[in-house]
Amino acid sequence: MSEVMEVSGLSAPAQALFAERGDSSELLAMRSAALSVYEQLPAPKYEKSDISRRKMDAFSLQVAPAFMPDETWKSLAQPYFEADSEHPMLVVQDGQVVYTRGTQDLERLGIRFLPIREAARQYPNDVLTRLHQAVPYDQDKWLALQAGLWNEGVYVYVPKGVICPHPLQFIHVVLEGGRGSFVHNLVVGGEQSEVTLLETYLAAQDLTDNLHIGVSEVFVGAGAKVTDGVVQDLPRHSTAVIVRRAIVERDGSMDWVLGEVGDGYTVAEVGSRLVGTGSHSTSHTVALGSGRAHADMTARMVHEAKFTESDTTARGVMQGRANAVYRGVTHILKGASGSNGQQSEKLLMMSKESRADAIPMLLIDENDVKCGHAASVGQINEEQLFYLMSRGVSEAEAKRMVVWGFLDPVLAKLPLSTMRTAVERVLERKMK
Amino acid sequence: MSNVPELVISGLRASVEGKEILKGVDLTVRGGEVHAIMGPNGTGKSTLASSLMGHPKYEVTGGSVTLDGADMLAMSVDERARAGLFLAMQYPSEVSGVSNANFIRMARNARLGEGNEVPVLKFHRELQQKMKSLSMDASFSERYLNEGFSGGEKKRNEILQLTMLEPRIAILDEIDSGLDIDALRIVAEGVNSLRGAEFGLLVITHYQRLLQYIKPDFVHVMMQGRIVRSGGQELAQKLEAQGYDWIKEELGIVDETIAAGV
Repeated sequence: MSEVMEVSGLSAPAQALFAERGDSSELLAMRSAALSVYEQLPAPKYEKSDISRRKMDAFSLQVAPAFMPDETWKSLAQPYFEADSEHPMLVVQDGQVVYTRGTQDLERLGIRFLPIREAARQYPNDVLTRLHQAVPYDQDKWLALQAGLWNEGVYVYVPKGVICPHPLQFIHVVLEGGRGSFVHNLVVGGEQSEVTLLETYLAAQDLTDNLHIGVSEVFVGAGAKVTDGVVQDLPRHSTAVIVRRAIVERDGSMDWVLGEVGDGYTVAEVGSRLVGTGSHSTSHTVALGSGRAHADMTARMVHEAKFTESDTTARGVMQGRANAVYRGVTHILKGASGSNGQQSEKLLMMSKESRADAIPMLLIDENDVKCGHAASVGQINEEQLFYLMSRGVSEAEAKRMVVWGFLDPVLAKLPLSTMRTAVERVLERKMK
Repeated sequence: MSNVPELVISGLRASVEGKEILKGVDLTVRGGEVHAIMGPNGTGKSTLASSLMGHPKYEVTGGSVTLDGADMLAMSVDERARAGLFLAMQYPSEVSGVSNANFIRMARNARLGEGNEVPVLKFHRELQQKMKSLSMDASFSERYLNEGFSGGEKKRNEILQLTMLEPRIAILDEIDSGLDIDALRIVAEGVNSLRGAEFGLLVITHYQRLLQYIKPDFVHVMMQGRIVRSGGQELAQKLEAQGYDWIKEELGIVDETIAAGV
């Protein structure tokens, strides 16, 4: 049913598709410009990921037929879905909103939380002026494709001085493969505001082709505090290219928490540009790779202003034939004196066939700064296993305990207890 | 069947990285008995403790070890523990992510077997009471296993686990190192509370000091990977007063360490 497009001449069918869905002419022009960049750029070469064998053309420009949502998405999302909690939630399945709650209460506070295409219609100035500002697409073919075809995702806006009382949760579910998911999230935290966004990406295990290109752009105003917690659990035949980036103003604070627990092929970057004096960002990543999972993860913190601070922590456990690369990039630009950037990447290989690389990179163009890193790749600690087993605990149980202990510093940072429990359950299931 | 445990070590040889450390150790520890193994550094005492528990670094190359007739050497580390062997370690590992209380409960339930788990409330009451008798702050039950504990706190935690798990045979490997005299007394009281016909103890130490609080029935001296002298409490006192040189002289040993015995 779905038709895979040739890698050229996307503009006309894309225009038709999105015009029918109600995009403004201004937005259609932006999409066209992006798609022509897509057609001109060569595929990027990643140092540690050979993406050339992945199906990067597994998407469709046909209008997906509208469907009556059934309960299937719920069974998949159930572990992440806190039914008796009141926090606002938006669930999208195969490009269609299937569940919304709690958004009315937000309107009274002036907080906006809605699907991004709808937001582009309702608040065109606010959305279009921010779009692609934190994550420009002009140097990257896949980001340009995403900029041309983004269709799902959420827009979050919190006005100056407003503290969002609940976390906002976005759940993205793919049950039907082959169409491609182009997700764009835009978060704007006004001066002195506070908000937590939770993103969850899930897909049916039996999908044959699941292409996911996702961008999250976060604008943290002066003195504002934004937390973005992401759980990605995509199945084996998934290919995901993801960039998440925040621009943090004076004294603002951005906290990223990522749980990567899928079995797919992922190339992802997360990070913050600390452009305001005294701004601050952390990133905590926990990953479990099993099967033939491939995770190429970069955390990039760019210190552009004085007295900025960043802290990057990653913990990964690889089992089966999983393969992981963790790159931590702390970049302190000239003029960003008094800044402090710390990073730590620790990876644990549980099997002989698994592979892991930790690559810390400190790029420092200023003298008066502090910078530190710790990176390690290793096997499970034999002394710890011996100790635990010497008290009667089985080897499997002892290993499980050591792995939990290893992941704990990051798990503890997941912002919602439901989310933490859900991730723990996935880990529990996959570690058997 | 008598419920008195019996650990029989005979002709035990063990190597680490191809180098033989234990060169034929014979020793029997029965319920109700306290044995002390003394000896200078580098004579194989800790290797004996680790080999008995099954540390993967040590390869047993000869001899046998049985507990109540069961072949310990054929068992994995956790099976040995569940059979009733306990090793209080010189350098206990730190494991984050699991609380002390939960770990001890899991270990105890692993020993009791499925269906015989100890009720949670009863367990915690007992744990708190035993922690109190070891002068451990209540907060230690919720802290991660040994994480950030001082040397002395780790030792107390080993004894806490010992008293909570109630093994049939326990080995204390240099439990006195890093303990001040008050802590030593508290730890020794904890150990002594277990003494009885159903509990046998093997204490490994450099110093006679510990043996003033945990009175041994038998004292053994280890040199060059073997037990070279055995006696009663008076042997420990003589060692404390005169050192090890007189034994070396009697045996014609110049260097008591393993390296020299090759």
